[in-house]
Amino acid sequence: MTRAIETATFLSITSVIYFLLLFKFVPTPAIFQEKILPVLPWWSLVSFGAYSLGNIGYHIFKFRDCDDAYFELMEQIQEAKTELRAKGVSIDND
Amino acid sequence: MSGSGNKYSVILPTYNERGNLPTIIWLLAKMFKENNLSWEVIIVDDASPDGTQEIAKQLSNVYGADHILLKPRAGKLGLGTAYMHGLQYVTGNFVIIMDADFSHHPKFIPQFIKLQKAKDLDIVTGTRYAGNGGVYGWDLRRKVISRGANFLASTLLRPGVSDLTGSFRLYKKPVLEKLISSTVSKGYVFQMEIMVRARQFGFTIGEVPITFVDRVYGESKMGATEIVQYAKGVWQLFTTV
Repeated sequence: MTRAIETATFLSITSVIYFLLLFKFVPTPAIFQEKILPVLPWWSLVSFGAYSLGNIGYHIFKFRDCDDAYFELMEQIQEAKTELRAKGVSIDND
Repeated sequence: MSGSGNKYSVILPTYNERGNLPTIIWLLAKMFKENNLSWEVIIVDDASPDGTQEIAKQLSNVYGADHILLKPRAGKLGLGTAYMHGLQYVTGNFVIIMDADFSHHPKFIPQFIKLQKAKDLDIVTGTRYAGNGGVYGWDLRRKVISRGANFLASTLLRPGVSDLTGSFRLYKKPVLEKLISSTVSKGYVFQMEIMVRARQFGFTIGEVPITFVDRVYGESKMGATEIVQYAKGVWQLFTTV
């Protein structure tokens, strides 16, 4: 089952359940039926949008910059080149 | 050399890496020696015009032909086939794949190995996005794109790993063989496909935070074309895997 089919299946099943409830094939308490059910899809969409933006924003905020890794690497590159040049490897000067 | 009988093979695809190759080999050799591990590096060079192969042969003389193997190819033939080509010569029971341009630092390999042993994992992947992971050299725009792209892929593909396009990984040899033979994509979509399929096959995957130093020399491209290609790649995986 591909990811696409999995997703489509999940969406189909939730849609069927939703419409069964909306068209009163399955009885539900009045307040749920009148106030909540009709707006549920939009609420879900907006919530998902908010969650997405929040998630992306949060992770961008927490993105770690590792300057120390860069400096350590620069030192090691010099060390490596010196040692290998002495052992006969043709290291370019740059 | 190492009491546990494990041998670690690094497959290093190269194209015009004459400048970087000596240092990356030096870092790998140092790390393997310091950790008392049995090792080899298989350099798969795609007929680089800058003399990469000559450097590889010199390094083979310094470190021994049993440690540094040069297995060149006739032309630029792509990453997936480079791994397949390298796999033929692997004599270890674990395979490490990584980039030769310093974005991946060998100092994390012992951590990969430790995690793998602790839980007998099939795959250990480096992640830039979780724990102590991080990146050097990305401006805000790049971070936004990267994070957005990762979110898109994670939502659609639900791979169970935090860094889907990362290519710094340790595999059990039979696991990598099975995965490569079942992937069809090219480029970095190939790296994503491997992870998604690994999940499908039920392989156990662990993550180690890594620091990623992007493009020590020069800037890496991430323009509109690349973004569109990425989205296409994610869609392709969504509908076929």
